[in-house]
Amino acid sequence: MADEGADEAGAPAVALSEAERTLLFALRAPAGRAATEEALGAEVGLPPEAVRGSLQRLRSKHLAVAEETSVARPRLTARGEATRAAGLPERRLLDLLLRRPEGIPPAALEAEGLSGEERSAAIGILRRRGLLADGAPLRRRAGAGPPAALPEEAALEGVARGEVGDAGVFDALKRRGLVALDHTTHRRWSASEEGRSLPLGTAGAATLGAVTSALLASGAWRTGTFRPYDVRADVPFVTGARPHPYAAWLEEFEEILVGLGFEQAEGPLLETEFWNSDVLFMPQEHPARSIHDALSVRGVEGRLPPADLLERVAAVHEGRALPGAAAPITPGWRYPYDPAIARRPILRSQTTAVSARFLARRPAPPFRMFSIDRNFRREALDATHHLEFAQCEGILGEEGITLRHLVGVFRALAEAIGIRELKIRPSYFPFTEPSIEGYVRHPRLGWIEVFPGGLFRPEVLAPLGVEVPVAAWGIGIARLAMVALGISDIRDLYLDDLARLTGREG
Amino acid sequence: MPQATLSAARLGALLPRPIPAEELERLLFDSKAELKSLAGDELRVESTADRLDLLCEAGLAAHLAGALGAARGPVPIAEGRGAGPAPSIVATAAVDPIRPAIAAIVIDGPDPHGLDAGLLNEAVRFQELIHATLGRDRRAASLGIYPADRLAFPLRYDLEPMAGVRFTPLDATHEVAAATFFGEHPMGRRFAALGTDPTRCLTLRDATGGVLSLPPVLNARPLGEAAAGDRRLLLEATGTRPGRVADALALLSLVFLARGWAARPVEVRYPHRTDDGRSLLAARPIELTTELLREVSGQAYPTLEVEQLLGRARLAARPTPHGWRVEVPPWRPDLLTARDVIEEIILARGVRAEDGLLPPSPTRGRRLAEVRFRRTHAARLLGLGFVPLMRPVLSPEPLVRLLGRTGAIALANPVSEQYAVLRDALQVSLLAALERNTRFGYPQRLSEVGPVVVADRASETGADSRVHAAIVLAGEGMGFADAAAAVDYLLRADDVRGVREPAELAGTIPGRGARLRLAGEIVAEVGEIHPRILAELKVPVPVAWGEVDLTALWPLVRRPAEAPTLKADRPAAERR
Repeated sequence: MADEGADEAGAPAVALSEAERTLLFALRAPAGRAATEEALGAEVGLPPEAVRGSLQRLRSKHLAVAEETSVARPRLTARGEATRAAGLPERRLLDLLLRRPEGIPPAALEAEGLSGEERSAAIGILRRRGLLADGAPLRRRAGAGPPAALPEEAALEGVARGEVGDAGVFDALKRRGLVALDHTTHRRWSASEEGRSLPLGTAGAATLGAVTSALLASGAWRTGTFRPYDVRADVPFVTGARPHPYAAWLEEFEEILVGLGFEQAEGPLLETEFWNSDVLFMPQEHPARSIHDALSVRGVEGRLPPADLLERVAAVHEGRALPGAAAPITPGWRYPYDPAIARRPILRSQTTAVSARFLARRPAPPFRMFSIDRNFRREALDATHHLEFAQCEGILGEEGITLRHLVGVFRALAEAIGIRELKIRPSYFPFTEPSIEGYVRHPRLGWIEVFPGGLFRPEVLAPLGVEVPVAAWGIGIARLAMVALGISDIRDLYLDDLARLTGREG
Repeated sequence: MPQATLSAARLGALLPRPIPAEELERLLFDSKAELKSLAGDELRVESTADRLDLLCEAGLAAHLAGALGAARGPVPIAEGRGAGPAPSIVATAAVDPIRPAIAAIVIDGPDPHGLDAGLLNEAVRFQELIHATLGRDRRAASLGIYPADRLAFPLRYDLEPMAGVRFTPLDATHEVAAATFFGEHPMGRRFAALGTDPTRCLTLRDATGGVLSLPPVLNARPLGEAAAGDRRLLLEATGTRPGRVADALALLSLVFLARGWAARPVEVRYPHRTDDGRSLLAARPIELTTELLREVSGQAYPTLEVEQLLGRARLAARPTPHGWRVEVPPWRPDLLTARDVIEEIILARGVRAEDGLLPPSPTRGRRLAEVRFRRTHAARLLGLGFVPLMRPVLSPEPLVRLLGRTGAIALANPVSEQYAVLRDALQVSLLAALERNTRFGYPQRLSEVGPVVVADRASETGADSRVHAAIVLAGEGMGFADAAAAVDYLLRADDVRGVREPAELAGTIPGRGARLRLAGEIVAEVGEIHPRILAELKVPVPVAWGEVDLTALWPLVRRPAEAPTLKADRPAAERR
């Protein structure tokens, strides 16, 4: 960084406008001279307003100082000028009483040219001076000779000459609005020590502002001096694009799964009930499949899966033997399976449907698959529930896969997100047996349920033709994301507030 | 998951020793139940949907006694020895179309005091829980409790003309006609559809013709009114399927059998067959092999330990040449197969995180090529300075209507109009975001790369889930060319160039909309948003919009080696 006072080229590091720089030159040559604003203006050829403003800015930058003297000048107001010409009301009343020795009622004074305000002032002053007799009508006090000049008259004339005179009388006239006192501050400007030492370059050289293409083309920058900027001044607030926090977090989680050997899969958001539930051995009368829990759509019809697969799934639901088998693999749910329900489209309520579609392709073992995608449930919207939420689903299948391998995956996932403590408890899902849930200890939230999973039931695998054991797990990843992102309202995951997304809060 | 509020005192009376709250919490955590709260006598417990037996004091106590090692093997079923012939129910053929299944048992109290108010309350509360869960709000199964000593057998389960049925509802003092009951009584109105046809209703009468109940709705007084002091009860269940009816009845019977009541099956005589009811109280055998246990658990279990663990799970096991024959009591309908029993063994022993193993074979992890392709587009938009959004697919119905997106699929059962339509274009979400950010200042440049759902009759699911990349530019001077330039950039980055053709697009100014076609496929849309829309959204600046269908673009630009995406069952060529 350059020295606080000047850069390498000798240009001042303090930001100066052209006018400020010109004035500072004038102030510091010759040394010790102090000049008025008028004189400076005449010297540098700037209008008074520009001179005054620039000098004030130089002072605020501690580059100029002003020696101030304040002068008070009395003057007659417009009303005072008129009164001086017409005579003070008290003088006019005295003159009237001289002409009317019998006296005159106060009410008649207005007809004699004295306004109500003038009448009150005149009567009051003459009484205080002992020039009026008591009682009405108004009459001169006997023996009181006409004064040659009242003090107010003398003061008024003094003000007309620029003199204040008796302060008490002046104040009285000021209260009557006849005189005023004008204060004028006179400044004599000179350069401060800092202003004298500030490098300004060559006097008379052009000061350069923004670098323009014209400046570059003309080469004028070679002879001028660049005006320094106030680098501490506020600059415009720039907002830019940055990755959506939730999307970025999901991508990071994907990285973990890819690193653990899982390959990604996707499936349709609008599913048939067959793929969403039936193939997962969820009975068609399962409460989670009611209109109160699943979201269905209008005007869309789905189709049944291939007939042989439909028949195999129907067989395990009804507790019948699979085609070609001698006996049922299990008692099943023992109800009449309804293909009409199987073809109904609903919004996918679990990414396990993606696993089912993956398994239906009969992947060659060993296989590990994951899917992070959206699901939909008919939830009342609140801080912890959303109709639309992401789940992370995963399966691993090969000969010899057991519950312990599933627990091993839970451990690896927990460690990958920085959590060491994991405990397992029993759970229940229609499509896995055994079913477990992994709880992890979060440093702030304590034990939270993160990893539900289990081994797919034979009722799921056999109709799909999968002959190796398959462990499956699903993570409520939205919840995990909320924890990781410090979000307390699930709706904030779908944030569209630009102030927050761009970092300009409020 | 289902929850129930139990009496801590009644539970405690059945336990081998007092259990402190912390220990109870731990014991339940290791089971399929969870302690939600304990305040005074109120014990709030939640269980998984398959273990309803843990939601009554008797069932939970049986489980805890096993977990504590204080009891082993199944809760014994004492055999009832009532006088005279076996009680029976005659079910007529008329009930078949509505509610064909019925099952019942008669139970006798173990002491001269018989039923007390606490036990009756526990049974009624559990009965309602079964109705709400397993019974599917009585549609699949409903239960009744009756004073058996006051009944004359055989009972008759029939579908009778409603005009001939009069009874006194359990909560009433006067007899009413069945038609009046179904028309006026809250229970009658709520459940009429389950127990009636246009002119008839289900009835359960005793041999004297007295009405016990109108299944599955409400019992009748006095024959359907069990009370404290009753020493013999009839537990009955009706429903649409025998299996569900039997399961419901067995669960309810646990409340009594665990306290030593003796049970006797009730014979049901259907028109063409007779069920002696003995299966209702019989244990189901499940064969478990040591090989399967090792395959599933990944561990070897000594024979003795298996039998001990099953005993603690309140099951009985007898050794066989290849493993064990496990006896499952009737109130455990969750145990269907050997795998279900294995789960009991594993969980009785406990699963430790330390036992976790890495999968046997290494596999290569990878993202879908199409997902990487989308991410590339998202990164390009970010590079152009577009703020990325991630908005729900479920979109506001008023906005979709305003835009005239008539092809968007609407929900049949929306929760709110703000989440009532599946967006078929990201245009909806981006304009909604502009509407919510009118105070932010302009220009605004927003983008989203995300899923949309497009109706498609040819698809297996009736719709196609696609991924689009879209932008909006809002600010003075923004127009068609700005959006078109950004879309051109996205396509150019994939080494392709679309051909723009005029199009009237939803939400845009006529004459200022275009589609981009590539190899005959429509891959993008561009347009200037109509001021009518902007005025409605209170967006004070012009807005240009562009949207690329990445799902359409991907097969046109991908390299041959890249793997296809798992999609619905239709080849790419058929789409659009």
